[in-house]
Amino acid sequence: MNEELVELSVIARQAGIRVTLVRRYVEFGLLEPASRTSEEPLFAPSAASRLAKAERLRRDLGLNYAGAVLACELLDRIRALEDQAR
Amino acid sequence: MAVEFKDYYEVLGVPRGASQDDIRRAYRKLAREYHPDLNRDSDAEERFKELGEAYEVLSDPNKRERYDRLGAQWQAQERAPGGGGDFEEFFDREGFGDGVRFEFGDGDVSDFFSRLFGNGAGMRSSGPLRGLDREALLELSLEDAVAGGRRRLTVDDGRSIDANFPAGVRDGQLIRLAGQGAPGRDGGPPGDLYLRVRLKPHSTFRRQGDDLDVDLPVAPWEAALGATVPVPTLTGTARVKVPAGSSSGRRLRLRGRGLAKQGGGHGDLHAIVKITVPKHLSDEQQELFEKLAEVSDFDPRKGRS
Repeated sequence: MNEELVELSVIARQAGIRVTLVRRYVEFGLLEPASRTSEEPLFAPSAASRLAKAERLRRDLGLNYAGAVLACELLDRIRALEDQAR
Repeated sequence: MAVEFKDYYEVLGVPRGASQDDIRRAYRKLAREYHPDLNRDSDAEERFKELGEAYEVLSDPNKRERYDRLGAQWQAQERAPGGGGDFEEFFDREGFGDGVRFEFGDGDVSDFFSRLFGNGAGMRSSGPLRGLDREALLELSLEDAVAGGRRRLTVDDGRSIDANFPAGVRDGQLIRLAGQGAPGRDGGPPGDLYLRVRLKPHSTFRRQGDDLDVDLPVAPWEAALGATVPVPTLTGTARVKVPAGSSSGRRLRLRGRGLAKQGGGHGDLHAIVKITVPKHLSDEQQELFEKLAEVSDFDPRKGRS
């Protein structure tokens, strides 16, 4: 399904975290902007849940930003493998 | 409502005399094991909350001291003759209800915790955060996938919901229902609900990606002479032209009568010719087939050694 891309401030609100925190996660490579054609980078709506997941892991498990991003990427890989095995 | 005593030491799996370091180590290990983003068991989230509550109390010397003192008294009276029962009754009788208050933000804590540390006490808050995403399996027949509709589903947290799904969903597709996941923390927005589509096998149609195969039984004379015959589709019946001289296995394509494709359009339906002969022949039919055998020089096994 095609969904509209959203601005950084919108995913920050949807994730329930501050814009500065979203920027930090973008710097750490958690999110790739889906489009850079406009002035503002735009993201897929699913970016909000990915951000919230990284932030939950960071807060709850005492990880740093790089660790939270790594955990998310590993979880994605596990998920892909589980889907293949299904 | 009965409030049950909670053994926070047991929750963390540490002895009563455990040091602060032991408690922190035990909590971190179990938190990694039961974090709901890492563990997809349905009871992981409940277990994780319990761990957080136990750690909140045992990692703070003031709270731990209060918990130890009241817990010991409660258990002592439980062992006494005629004792036991509800922790809340014990509290009211012993008059501990107006003890030390701890100031925290709102949190999701057990009745036991609230009772022990006063109403309004919660876990240490670290600011609002969006809730977990949830998932539900949407198992559909091919007909339902083509038509769309509404379905009662069980979410992985045990809830039941009525979900609408659009026409033309594909196997493995994720349908996002914004804001229908778990509630947020400390006033954060809720997560999303994802419906994971799985298409069930069909008794008539065999799915090959976005294409469908269906058997097309034809009489020998229809196959030899050609005919236009009905063929079932997911939305009704179509008519397909069987060209003269079609053998079993010939695939006749009905363009666009398959399933929805990613990025638009539809796959095809393949009607596969299957020559079917009558089991019993009348005398006249028997004669005609014999006559056909006589005049025909067709050898279907020609070229075989």
